[in-house]
Amino acid sequence: MASVDKVTPMPPGRVRLGSIMPLSSVAARRLILFFALVAAWEFTAEFLVNEFWSSRPSEIVMRLFSMLVDGTLWRHTSITVLEAFAGLLLGAVVGTPLGIWLANAPKASETADPFIMGLYGLPRVALAPLFILWFGIGLLSKIMMSFTMVVFVFLLNSREGVRTVDPDLVDLMRSMRAKSLYRARKVLIPAIVPWILASFRLGIGLSLIGAVVGELVGSSRGLGWYIQNAGGMLDTTGVFTGLVVLMVIAMLANQMIALVEARVLRWR
Amino acid sequence: MEMSKVNADNRAVIEDLSISFPRPGDEDLLVVEAVSFTVGVGEFVAVVGPSGCGKSTILRVLSGLLSANGGTVLIDGQEVSQTPDHVGFMFQKDALLPWATIDENITIGAELGGVPLEDRPALVASLIDMLGLAGFEKAYPKNLSGGMRQRVSLGRLLAYQPTLMLMDEPFGALDYQTKIRMGRELLRIWEAERRSIIFVTHDIEEAIRLADRIVVFSARPARVAAEYIVNLSRPRNLSEMRGNAEFNRLTHAIWSDLSMPT
Ligand SMILES: Nc1ncnc2c1ncn2[C@@H]1O[C@H](COP(=O)(O)OP(=O)(O)OP(=O)(O)O)[C@@H](O)[C@H]1O
Ligand SMILES: [Mg+2]
Repeated sequence: MASVDKVTPMPPGRVRLGSIMPLSSVAARRLILFFALVAAWEFTAEFLVNEFWSSRPSEIVMRLFSMLVDGTLWRHTSITVLEAFAGLLLGAVVGTPLGIWLANAPKASETADPFIMGLYGLPRVALAPLFILWFGIGLLSKIMMSFTMVVFVFLLNSREGVRTVDPDLVDLMRSMRAKSLYRARKVLIPAIVPWILASFRLGIGLSLIGAVVGELVGSSRGLGWYIQNAGGMLDTTGVFTGLVVLMVIAMLANQMIALVEARVLRWR
Repeated sequence: MEMSKVNADNRAVIEDLSISFPRPGDEDLLVVEAVSFTVGVGEFVAVVGPSGCGKSTILRVLSGLLSANGGTVLIDGQEVSQTPDHVGFMFQKDALLPWATIDENITIGAELGGVPLEDRPALVASLIDMLGLAGFEKAYPKNLSGGMRQRVSLGRLLAYQPTLMLMDEPFGALDYQTKIRMGRELLRIWEAERRSIIFVTHDIEEAIRLADRIVVFSARPARVAAEYIVNLSRPRNLSEMRGNAEFNRLTHAIWSDLSMPT
Protein backbone atom coordinates (compact mmCIF):
# COMPACT_ATOMS: atom_id res chain seq x y z
CA MET A 1 0.00 0.00 0.00
CA ALA A 2 1.23 3.44 -0.81
CA SER A 3 0.32 4.84 2.56
CA VAL A 4 2.59 2.34 4.32
CA ASP A 5 5.60 3.58 2.36
CA LYS A 6 4.91 7.09 3.47
CA VAL A 7 5.19 6.18 7.13
CA THR A 8 8.82 5.01 6.74
CA PRO A 9 10.64 7.54 8.92
CA MET A 10 13.66 8.15 6.71
CA PRO A 11 15.03 6.44 3.64
CA PRO A 12 18.04 4.31 4.67
CA GLY A 13 20.31 6.05 2.17
CA ARG A 14 19.83 9.38 3.90
CA VAL A 15 20.59 8.05 7.33
CA ARG A 16 24.00 6.84 6.23
CA LEU A 17 24.95 9.96 4.32
CA GLY A 18 25.88 12.07 7.34
CA SER A 19 28.04 9.43 8.95
CA ILE A 20 30.11 8.70 5.87
CA MET A 21 30.92 12.25 4.85
CA PRO A 22 33.52 14.16 6.88
CA LEU A 23 31.21 17.13 6.28
CA SER A 24 29.32 16.07 9.36
CA SER A 25 31.79 17.89 11.61
CA VAL A 26 31.48 21.66 11.83
CA ALA A 27 35.23 22.07 12.03
CA ALA A 28 35.70 20.16 8.78
CA ARG A 29 33.08 22.22 6.99
CA ARG A 30 34.60 25.47 8.23
CA LEU A 31 38.05 24.43 7.11
CA ILE A 32 36.73 23.58 3.66
CA LEU A 33 34.99 26.93 3.38
CA PHE A 34 38.16 28.71 4.49
CA PHE A 35 40.36 27.00 1.93
CA ALA A 36 37.80 27.50 -0.80
CA LEU A 37 37.71 31.24 -0.15
CA VAL A 38 41.48 31.51 0.03
CA ALA A 39 41.86 29.53 -3.17
CA ALA A 40 39.28 31.68 -4.94
CA TRP A 41 41.10 34.80 -3.85
CA GLU A 42 44.47 33.47 -4.94
CA PHE A 43 42.97 32.39 -8.27
CA THR A 44 41.41 35.79 -8.83
CA ALA A 45 44.72 37.52 -8.20
CA GLU A 46 46.51 35.11 -10.49
CA PHE A 47 44.19 35.28 -13.48
CA LEU A 48 41.47 37.91 -13.16
CA VAL A 49 42.35 41.05 -11.20
CA ASN A 50 45.70 42.68 -10.85
CA GLU A 51 46.96 41.95 -7.36
CA PHE A 52 47.64 45.64 -6.94
CA TRP A 53 43.92 46.08 -6.23
CA SER A 54 43.15 43.25 -3.87
CA SER A 55 46.49 41.61 -2.98
CA ARG A 56 46.54 37.85 -2.52
CA PRO A 57 46.62 35.39 0.39
CA SER A 58 50.18 34.22 -0.22
CA GLU A 59 51.43 37.81 -0.11
CA ILE A 60 49.53 38.43 3.09
CA VAL A 61 50.97 35.36 4.75
CA MET A 62 54.46 36.47 3.81
CA ARG A 63 53.80 39.95 5.14
CA LEU A 64 52.45 38.54 8.37
CA PHE A 65 55.56 36.47 8.76
CA SER A 66 57.93 39.38 8.21
CA MET A 67 55.91 41.55 10.60
CA LEU A 68 56.06 38.83 13.17
CA VAL A 69 59.84 38.60 12.84
CA ASP A 70 60.57 42.32 13.00
CA GLY A 71 58.15 42.87 15.90
CA THR A 72 55.79 45.27 14.11
CA LEU A 73 52.95 42.77 14.33
CA TRP A 74 53.06 42.73 18.11
CA ARG A 75 53.69 46.48 18.28
CA HIS A 76 50.50 47.34 16.42
CA THR A 77 48.31 44.47 17.50
CA SER A 78 48.99 44.82 21.22
CA ILE A 79 48.04 48.47 21.31
CA THR A 80 44.81 48.01 19.35
CA VAL A 81 43.76 45.05 21.48
CA LEU A 82 44.54 47.00 24.63
CA GLU A 83 42.44 49.98 23.48
CA ALA A 84 39.51 47.85 22.41
CA PHE A 85 39.61 45.67 25.50
CA ALA A 86 39.83 48.61 27.90
CA GLY A 87 36.95 50.33 26.12
CA LEU A 88 34.88 47.15 26.17
CA LEU A 89 35.49 46.60 29.87
CA LEU A 90 34.77 50.20 30.73
CA GLY A 91 31.57 49.99 28.69
CA ALA A 92 30.50 46.91 30.64
CA VAL A 93 31.36 48.40 34.01
CA VAL A 94 29.50 51.64 33.28
CA GLY A 95 26.68 50.39 31.06
CA THR A 96 25.49 47.40 33.07
CA PRO A 97 24.80 49.15 36.40
CA LEU A 98 23.20 52.03 34.51
CA GLY A 99 20.92 49.61 32.70
CA ILE A 100 19.99 47.85 35.94
CA TRP A 101 19.29 51.16 37.58
CA LEU A 102 17.13 52.40 34.70
CA ALA A 103 15.11 49.16 34.75
CA ASN A 104 14.35 49.80 38.41
CA ALA A 105 13.61 53.48 37.92
CA PRO A 106 10.87 53.54 35.26
CA LYS A 107 10.38 57.30 35.55
CA ALA A 108 14.04 58.06 34.94
CA SER A 109 14.16 55.48 32.19
CA GLU A 110 11.11 56.93 30.47
CA THR A 111 12.53 60.42 30.68
CA ALA A 112 15.95 59.50 29.37
CA ASP A 113 14.81 57.07 26.70
CA PRO A 114 14.68 59.37 23.65
CA PHE A 115 18.06 60.80 24.53
CA ILE A 116 19.60 57.38 25.01
CA MET A 117 18.20 56.22 21.71
CA GLY A 118 19.39 59.44 20.04
CA LEU A 119 22.94 58.92 21.26
CA TYR A 120 22.74 55.25 20.41
CA GLY A 121 21.64 56.03 16.88
CA LEU A 122 24.31 58.68 16.39
CA PRO A 123 27.14 57.46 14.15
CA ARG A 124 29.64 57.64 16.96
CA VAL A 125 32.63 57.20 14.67
CA ALA A 126 32.05 60.84 13.80
CA LEU A 127 33.10 61.69 17.33
CA ALA A 128 36.68 60.63 16.65
CA PRO A 129 38.07 64.07 15.70
CA LEU A 130 36.45 65.55 18.78
CA PHE A 131 37.87 62.86 21.03
CA ILE A 132 41.38 63.37 19.62
CA LEU A 133 40.95 67.02 20.49
CA TRP A 134 39.69 66.27 23.98
CA PHE A 135 41.78 63.30 25.00
CA GLY A 136 44.89 63.66 22.85
CA ILE A 137 46.37 61.29 20.31
CA GLY A 138 47.38 58.74 22.95
CA LEU A 139 45.64 55.72 24.36
CA LEU A 140 42.82 57.53 26.11
CA SER A 141 41.09 58.89 23.01
CA LYS A 142 40.88 55.38 21.52
CA ILE A 143 39.65 53.84 24.74
CA MET A 144 36.95 56.48 24.88
CA MET A 145 36.05 55.79 21.26
CA SER A 146 35.51 52.10 21.88
CA PHE A 147 33.75 52.91 25.13
CA THR A 148 31.17 55.07 23.36
CA MET A 149 30.69 52.34 20.80
CA VAL A 150 29.85 49.66 23.35
CA VAL A 151 28.39 51.33 26.41
CA PHE A 152 24.89 51.53 24.95
CA VAL A 153 24.89 47.88 24.11
CA PHE A 154 25.52 47.02 27.74
CA LEU A 155 23.05 49.59 28.98
CA LEU A 156 20.18 48.55 26.72
CA ASN A 157 20.78 44.84 27.11
CA SER A 158 21.01 44.83 30.89
CA ARG A 159 17.94 47.04 31.11
CA GLU A 160 16.03 44.60 28.95
CA GLY A 161 17.45 41.70 30.95
CA VAL A 162 16.15 43.08 34.22
CA ARG A 163 12.77 43.79 32.68
CA THR A 164 12.37 40.21 31.58
CA VAL A 165 13.14 38.68 34.98
CA ASP A 166 10.28 36.33 35.83
CA PRO A 167 8.17 38.24 38.38
CA ASP A 168 7.21 34.93 40.00
CA LEU A 169 10.81 34.37 41.01
CA VAL A 170 10.93 37.77 42.67
CA ASP A 171 7.60 37.10 44.42
CA LEU A 172 8.85 33.76 45.58
CA MET A 173 11.92 35.37 47.10
CA ARG A 174 9.74 37.99 48.76
CA SER A 175 7.42 35.31 50.13
CA MET A 176 10.45 33.87 51.93
CA ARG A 177 11.47 37.30 53.18
CA ALA A 178 14.72 37.35 51.21
CA LYS A 179 16.69 40.58 51.60
CA SER A 180 17.26 42.63 48.46
CA LEU A 181 20.95 41.76 48.34
CA TYR A 182 20.10 38.07 48.47
CA ARG A 183 17.46 38.53 45.77
CA ALA A 184 20.02 40.29 43.59
CA ARG A 185 22.51 37.47 44.08
CA LYS A 186 20.06 34.65 43.43
CA VAL A 187 17.68 36.12 40.86
CA LEU A 188 18.72 39.40 39.30
CA ILE A 189 22.36 38.69 38.53
CA PRO A 190 21.95 35.15 37.19
CA ALA A 191 19.05 36.39 35.07
CA ILE A 192 21.08 39.10 33.35
CA VAL A 193 24.33 37.16 32.90
CA PRO A 194 23.19 35.85 29.48
CA TRP A 195 22.37 39.40 28.43
CA ILE A 196 25.79 40.63 29.56
CA LEU A 197 27.55 37.86 27.68
CA ALA A 198 25.52 38.67 24.58
CA SER A 199 26.61 42.30 25.00
CA PHE A 200 30.22 41.19 25.08
CA ARG A 201 29.70 39.28 21.85
CA LEU A 202 28.25 42.32 20.12
CA GLY A 203 30.75 44.60 21.82
CA ILE A 204 33.87 42.85 20.49
CA GLY A 205 33.39 44.09 16.93
CA LEU A 206 32.14 47.49 18.03
CA SER A 207 35.03 48.11 20.39
CA LEU A 208 37.49 47.23 17.63
CA ILE A 209 35.74 49.68 15.33
CA GLY A 210 36.06 52.36 17.99
CA ALA A 211 39.76 51.73 18.51
CA VAL A 212 40.59 51.52 14.81
CA VAL A 213 38.62 54.64 13.89
CA GLY A 214 40.41 56.49 16.67
CA GLU A 215 43.73 55.34 15.24
CA LEU A 216 42.76 56.29 11.72
CA VAL A 217 42.09 59.84 12.82
CA GLY A 218 45.16 60.40 14.90
CA SER A 219 47.84 58.09 16.19
CA SER A 220 51.30 56.71 15.54
CA ARG A 221 50.67 53.06 16.40
CA GLY A 222 48.05 50.36 16.14
CA LEU A 223 46.43 48.36 13.38
CA GLY A 224 44.29 51.31 12.35
CA TRP A 225 47.37 53.40 11.91
CA TYR A 226 49.11 50.57 10.06
CA ILE A 227 46.19 50.20 7.64
CA GLN A 228 46.01 53.95 7.11
CA ASN A 229 49.72 54.16 6.52
CA ALA A 230 49.75 51.22 4.11
CA GLY A 231 46.83 52.69 2.20
CA GLY A 232 48.68 55.99 1.84
CA MET A 233 51.56 54.11 0.24
CA LEU A 234 49.24 52.16 -2.10
CA ASP A 235 50.34 49.01 -0.25
CA THR A 236 47.19 46.91 -0.59
CA THR A 237 48.90 43.89 0.93
CA GLY A 238 49.54 46.00 4.05
CA VAL A 239 45.89 47.05 4.19
CA PHE A 240 44.64 43.50 3.85
CA THR A 241 47.16 42.22 6.37
CA GLY A 242 45.85 44.70 8.93
CA LEU A 243 42.29 43.68 8.18
CA VAL A 244 43.10 39.99 8.49
CA VAL A 245 44.70 40.54 11.88
CA LEU A 246 41.64 42.47 13.06
CA MET A 247 39.40 39.69 11.87
CA VAL A 248 41.43 37.04 13.67
CA ILE A 249 41.31 39.08 16.89
CA ALA A 250 37.53 39.33 16.65
CA MET A 251 37.19 35.63 15.96
CA LEU A 252 39.43 34.62 18.87
CA ALA A 253 37.64 36.97 21.27
CA ASN A 254 34.29 35.62 20.13
CA GLN A 255 35.52 32.09 20.70
CA MET A 256 36.54 33.03 24.23
CA ILE A 257 33.08 34.38 24.99
CA ALA A 258 31.60 31.17 23.59
CA LEU A 259 33.74 29.16 26.01
CA VAL A 260 32.61 31.29 28.93
CA GLU A 261 28.99 30.91 27.84
CA ALA A 262 29.30 27.16 27.65
CA ARG A 263 30.56 27.07 31.21
CA VAL A 264 28.33 29.70 32.80
CA LEU A 265 25.07 29.03 30.97
CA ARG A 266 24.92 25.28 31.46
CA TRP A 267 21.46 25.67 32.97
CA ARG A 268 19.97 26.83 29.66
CA MET B 1 -21.89 40.61 61.60
CA GLU B 2 -21.14 38.22 64.38
CA MET B 3 -18.33 38.81 66.87
CA SER B 4 -14.86 38.40 65.49
CA LYS B 5 -13.65 34.84 65.65
CA VAL B 6 -10.16 35.89 66.73
CA ASN B 7 -8.86 33.60 69.41
CA ALA B 8 -5.54 32.27 70.61
CA ASP B 9 -5.92 29.05 68.69
CA ASN B 10 -6.07 30.71 65.33
CA ARG B 11 -3.04 30.80 63.16
CA ALA B 12 -4.74 32.87 60.49
CA VAL B 13 -7.92 34.89 60.52
CA ILE B 14 -9.38 36.26 57.32
CA GLU B 15 -12.29 38.57 57.85
CA ASP B 16 -14.50 40.34 55.38
CA LEU B 17 -11.72 40.26 52.84
CA SER B 18 -12.30 41.91 49.51
CA ILE B 19 -9.90 42.26 46.62
CA SER B 20 -10.32 43.89 43.25
CA PHE B 21 -8.00 44.61 40.37
CA PRO B 22 -8.05 47.86 38.42
CA ARG B 23 -8.84 47.46 34.75
CA PRO B 24 -7.85 50.18 32.31
CA GLY B 25 -10.91 51.78 30.76
CA ASP B 26 -13.32 49.67 32.78
CA GLU B 27 -14.56 49.36 36.31
CA ASP B 28 -12.43 47.37 38.75
CA LEU B 29 -12.61 43.61 38.56
CA LEU B 30 -13.96 42.35 41.87
CA VAL B 31 -12.24 39.06 42.56
CA VAL B 32 -12.85 38.39 46.24
CA GLU B 33 -15.91 39.64 48.11
CA ALA B 34 -16.43 39.56 51.87
CA VAL B 35 -14.56 36.32 52.47
CA SER B 36 -14.10 35.21 56.07
CA PHE B 37 -12.55 32.03 57.39
CA THR B 38 -10.00 30.96 59.95
CA VAL B 39 -7.20 28.47 60.16
CA GLY B 40 -6.42 27.02 63.57
CA VAL B 41 -3.00 26.15 64.89
CA GLY B 42 -2.15 22.75 63.49
CA GLU B 43 -5.23 22.73 61.32
CA PHE B 44 -5.35 21.49 57.76
CA VAL B 45 -7.80 23.53 55.70
CA ALA B 46 -8.53 22.66 52.11
CA VAL B 47 -9.90 25.26 49.74
CA VAL B 48 -11.87 24.35 46.65
CA GLY B 49 -13.55 26.60 44.14
CA PRO B 50 -14.05 27.10 40.42
CA SER B 51 -11.07 28.09 38.30
CA GLY B 52 -10.47 31.82 38.25
CA CYS B 53 -12.53 32.50 41.37
CA GLY B 54 -9.69 34.07 43.33
CA LYS B 55 -8.05 31.31 45.37
CA SER B 56 -4.51 32.15 44.37
CA THR B 57 -5.24 35.80 44.92
CA ILE B 58 -6.31 35.16 48.52
CA LEU B 59 -3.09 33.25 49.15
CA ARG B 60 -1.09 36.14 47.75
CA VAL B 61 -2.75 38.44 50.25
CA LEU B 62 -2.06 36.02 53.10
CA SER B 63 1.61 35.94 52.19
CA GLY B 64 1.82 39.70 52.03
CA LEU B 65 2.57 39.81 48.31
CA LEU B 66 -0.63 41.67 47.54
CA SER B 67 -2.60 44.11 49.63
CA ALA B 68 -6.34 43.76 49.96
CA ASN B 69 -8.89 46.47 49.27
CA GLY B 70 -10.93 45.75 52.37
CA GLY B 71 -11.19 43.52 55.40
CA THR B 72 -8.55 42.22 57.74
CA VAL B 73 -6.02 39.44 57.57
CA LEU B 74 -4.39 38.44 60.82
CA ILE B 75 -1.59 35.95 61.18
CA ASP B 76 -0.82 35.07 64.80
CA GLY B 77 -2.97 38.02 65.74
CA GLN B 78 -0.83 40.42 63.72
CA GLU B 79 -2.25 42.33 60.80
CA VAL B 80 -0.42 41.34 57.62
CA SER B 81 1.27 44.37 56.14
CA GLN B 82 4.41 42.81 54.78
CA THR B 83 5.39 39.18 54.35
CA PRO B 84 4.90 37.45 57.68
CA ASP B 85 7.54 35.28 59.28
CA HIS B 86 7.47 31.53 58.67
CA VAL B 87 4.60 31.61 56.25
CA GLY B 88 5.65 29.49 53.32
CA PHE B 89 3.99 29.81 49.94
CA MET B 90 4.09 27.12 47.31
CA PHE B 91 3.02 28.74 44.07
CA GLN B 92 0.74 27.18 41.51
CA LYS B 93 3.64 27.51 39.07
CA ASP B 94 6.80 25.84 40.34
CA ALA B 95 8.88 29.06 40.24
CA LEU B 96 12.21 27.25 40.44
CA LEU B 97 15.36 29.21 39.72
CA PRO B 98 16.36 27.88 36.28
CA TRP B 99 20.05 28.55 36.93
CA ALA B 100 20.13 26.63 40.19
CA THR B 101 20.38 22.87 40.50
CA ILE B 102 17.70 20.89 42.33
CA ASP B 103 19.98 20.79 45.36
CA GLU B 104 20.49 24.53 45.27
CA ASN B 105 16.82 25.28 44.73
CA ILE B 106 15.84 23.35 47.85
CA THR B 107 18.76 24.74 49.81
CA ILE B 108 17.45 28.26 49.20
CA GLY B 109 14.40 27.33 51.25
CA ALA B 110 16.58 26.05 54.09
CA GLU B 111 18.80 29.10 53.94
CA LEU B 112 15.96 31.61 54.06
CA GLY B 113 14.17 29.52 56.66
CA GLY B 114 17.11 29.98 58.98
CA VAL B 115 18.35 26.38 59.01
CA PRO B 116 21.96 26.47 60.27
CA LEU B 117 24.55 26.05 57.55
CA GLU B 118 25.84 22.72 58.83
CA ASP B 119 22.36 21.19 58.96
CA ARG B 120 21.35 22.14 55.43
CA PRO B 121 22.97 19.37 53.40
CA ALA B 122 21.43 16.61 55.50
CA LEU B 123 18.01 18.26 55.48
CA VAL B 124 18.10 18.77 51.72
CA ALA B 125 19.28 15.22 51.12
CA SER B 126 16.49 13.76 53.22
CA LEU B 127 13.89 15.90 51.43
CA ILE B 128 15.19 14.86 48.03
CA ASP B 129 14.96 11.27 49.13
CA MET B 130 11.46 11.66 50.47
CA LEU B 131 10.29 13.36 47.28
CA GLY B 132 11.67 10.58 45.11
CA LEU B 133 14.16 12.86 43.41
CA ALA B 134 17.33 10.97 44.29
CA GLY B 135 19.83 11.05 41.44
CA PHE B 136 18.66 14.46 40.25
CA GLU B 137 20.47 16.56 42.86
CA LYS B 138 22.76 18.16 40.30
CA ALA B 139 20.21 18.42 37.50
CA TYR B 140 18.78 21.75 36.38
CA PRO B 141 15.01 22.37 36.34
CA LYS B 142 14.83 22.28 32.54
CA ASN B 143 15.78 18.61 32.66
CA LEU B 144 12.89 17.71 34.95
CA SER B 145 9.31 16.86 34.17
CA GLY B 146 6.51 19.11 35.37
CA GLY B 147 5.64 16.78 38.21
CA MET B 148 9.26 16.54 39.32
CA ARG B 149 9.59 20.30 39.32
CA GLN B 150 6.49 20.52 41.44
CA ARG B 151 8.05 18.14 43.95
CA VAL B 152 11.22 20.25 44.05
CA SER B 153 9.06 23.25 44.77
CA LEU B 154 7.42 21.27 47.61
CA GLY B 155 10.89 20.40 48.89
CA ARG B 156 11.84 24.06 48.95
CA LEU B 157 8.68 24.90 50.87
CA LEU B 158 9.34 22.21 53.46
CA ALA B 159 13.00 23.21 53.77
CA TYR B 160 11.82 26.71 54.63
CA GLN B 161 10.23 25.25 57.80
CA PRO B 162 7.04 27.28 57.61
CA THR B 163 4.55 27.00 60.43
CA LEU B 164 1.78 28.11 58.09
CA MET B 165 1.95 26.56 54.65
CA LEU B 166 0.04 28.13 51.78
CA MET B 167 -0.15 25.48 49.08
CA ASP B 168 -1.62 26.39 45.71
CA GLU B 169 -2.57 23.17 43.92
CA PRO B 170 0.68 21.58 45.07
CA PHE B 171 -0.02 18.18 43.53
CA GLY B 172 -1.78 19.38 40.39
CA ALA B 173 0.91 18.09 38.05
CA LEU B 174 1.33 14.66 39.64
CA ASP B 175 -0.01 11.30 38.60
CA TYR B 176 -2.51 9.62 40.89
CA GLN B 177 -0.08 7.34 42.71
CA THR B 178 2.53 10.02 43.32
CA LYS B 179 -0.21 12.35 44.46
CA ILE B 180 -1.32 9.83 47.09
CA ARG B 181 2.24 9.25 48.25
CA MET B 182 3.06 12.96 48.47
CA GLY B 183 -0.18 13.56 50.35
CA ARG B 184 0.80 10.91 52.86
CA GLU B 185 4.25 12.46 53.34
CA LEU B 186 2.70 15.87 53.76
CA LEU B 187 0.34 14.54 56.44
CA ARG B 188 3.22 12.86 58.21
CA ILE B 189 5.17 16.13 58.42
CA TRP B 190 2.06 18.09 59.31
CA GLU B 191 1.16 15.71 62.15
CA ALA B 192 4.70 15.57 63.50
CA GLU B 193 5.18 19.32 63.61
CA ARG B 194 1.70 20.70 64.14
CA ARG B 195 1.91 23.01 61.19
CA SER B 196 -1.09 24.80 59.76
CA ILE B 197 -1.93 24.34 56.11
CA ILE B 198 -4.14 26.05 53.57
CA PHE B 199 -4.33 23.70 50.65
CA VAL B 200 -5.94 24.77 47.39
CA THR B 201 -7.09 21.93 45.18
CA HIS B 202 -9.55 21.07 42.43
CA ASP B 203 -9.67 17.47 43.57
CA ILE B 204 -12.60 16.98 45.98
CA GLU B 205 -11.48 13.52 46.99
CA GLU B 206 -8.01 14.84 47.78
CA ALA B 207 -9.49 17.61 49.90
CA ILE B 208 -11.51 15.11 51.94
CA ARG B 209 -8.60 12.70 52.24
CA LEU B 210 -6.25 15.35 53.62
CA ALA B 211 -8.13 18.14 55.35
CA ASP B 212 -9.73 18.78 58.73
CA ARG B 213 -11.97 21.35 57.19
CA ILE B 214 -12.96 22.32 53.68
CA VAL B 215 -13.86 25.82 52.56
CA VAL B 216 -15.79 25.98 49.30
CA PHE B 217 -15.69 29.17 47.28
CA SER B 218 -18.25 30.39 44.78
CA ALA B 219 -17.31 31.46 41.28
CA ARG B 220 -15.79 34.90 40.93
CA PRO B 221 -16.11 37.03 42.93
CA ALA B 222 -15.10 34.44 45.51
CA ARG B 223 -17.42 34.17 48.49
CA VAL B 224 -17.47 31.37 51.01
CA ALA B 225 -20.21 29.16 49.61
CA ALA B 226 -19.93 26.50 52.32
CA GLU B 227 -17.65 25.10 54.98
CA TYR B 228 -17.42 21.46 56.01
CA ILE B 229 -15.71 19.73 58.88
CA VAL B 230 -14.31 16.42 57.73
CA ASN B 231 -15.38 13.94 60.39
CA LEU B 232 -13.25 11.04 59.29
CA SER B 233 -10.69 9.46 61.59
CA ARG B 234 -7.05 9.45 60.63
CA PRO B 235 -5.16 7.76 59.13
CA ARG B 236 -7.64 7.82 56.29
CA ASN B 237 -7.43 4.83 54.11
CA LEU B 238 -8.60 5.53 50.62
CA SER B 239 -10.41 2.28 49.92
CA GLU B 240 -12.17 2.29 53.31
CA MET B 241 -13.03 5.93 52.87
CA ARG B 242 -14.76 5.38 49.56
CA GLY B 243 -17.41 3.19 51.14
CA ASN B 244 -17.91 5.54 54.07
CA ALA B 245 -21.24 7.38 54.31
CA GLU B 246 -19.60 10.58 55.58
CA PHE B 247 -17.20 10.57 52.67
CA ASN B 248 -20.03 10.20 50.21
CA ARG B 249 -22.10 12.85 51.92
CA LEU B 250 -19.22 15.35 51.75
CA THR B 251 -18.36 14.52 48.18
CA HIS B 252 -21.92 15.07 47.05
CA ALA B 253 -22.37 18.22 49.08
CA ILE B 254 -19.19 19.85 47.75
CA TRP B 255 -19.98 18.64 44.26
CA SER B 256 -23.36 20.30 44.30
CA ASP B 257 -21.93 23.49 45.87
CA LEU B 258 -19.49 23.74 42.98
CA SER B 259 -22.10 23.00 40.36
CA MET B 260 -24.39 25.69 41.66
CA PRO B 261 -25.01 28.51 39.17
CA THR B 262 -24.09 31.93 40.49
N1 LIG C 1 -2.45 40.71 38.88
C1 LIG C 1 -3.71 40.62 38.41
N2 LIG C 1 -4.23 41.65 37.71
C2 LIG C 1 -5.49 41.58 37.23
N3 LIG C 1 -6.31 40.55 37.40
C3 LIG C 1 -5.85 39.49 38.08
C4 LIG C 1 -4.51 39.46 38.62
N4 LIG C 1 -4.34 38.29 39.25
C5 LIG C 1 -5.49 37.62 39.10
N5 LIG C 1 -6.41 38.32 38.42
C6 LIG C 1 -7.78 37.90 38.12
O1 LIG C 1 -8.35 37.46 39.32
C7 LIG C 1 -9.15 36.33 39.10
C8 LIG C 1 -8.79 35.25 40.07
O2 LIG C 1 -7.50 34.79 39.82
P1 LIG C 1 -6.84 33.64 40.69
O3 LIG C 1 -5.50 33.37 40.09
O4 LIG C 1 -6.88 34.02 42.11
O5 LIG C 1 -7.82 32.42 40.42
P2 LIG C 1 -7.78 30.93 41.01
O6 LIG C 1 -8.98 30.76 41.84
O7 LIG C 1 -6.48 30.69 41.66
O8 LIG C 1 -7.93 30.08 39.70
P3 LIG C 1 -7.29 28.67 39.31
O9 LIG C 1 -8.02 27.64 40.05
O10 LIG C 1 -7.52 28.59 37.84
O11 LIG C 1 -5.84 28.75 39.67
C9 LIG C 1 -8.98 35.94 37.66
O12 LIG C 1 -10.15 36.32 36.97
C10 LIG C 1 -7.80 36.73 37.18
O13 LIG C 1 -8.01 37.15 35.87
MG1 LIG D 1 -4.90 29.61 41.19
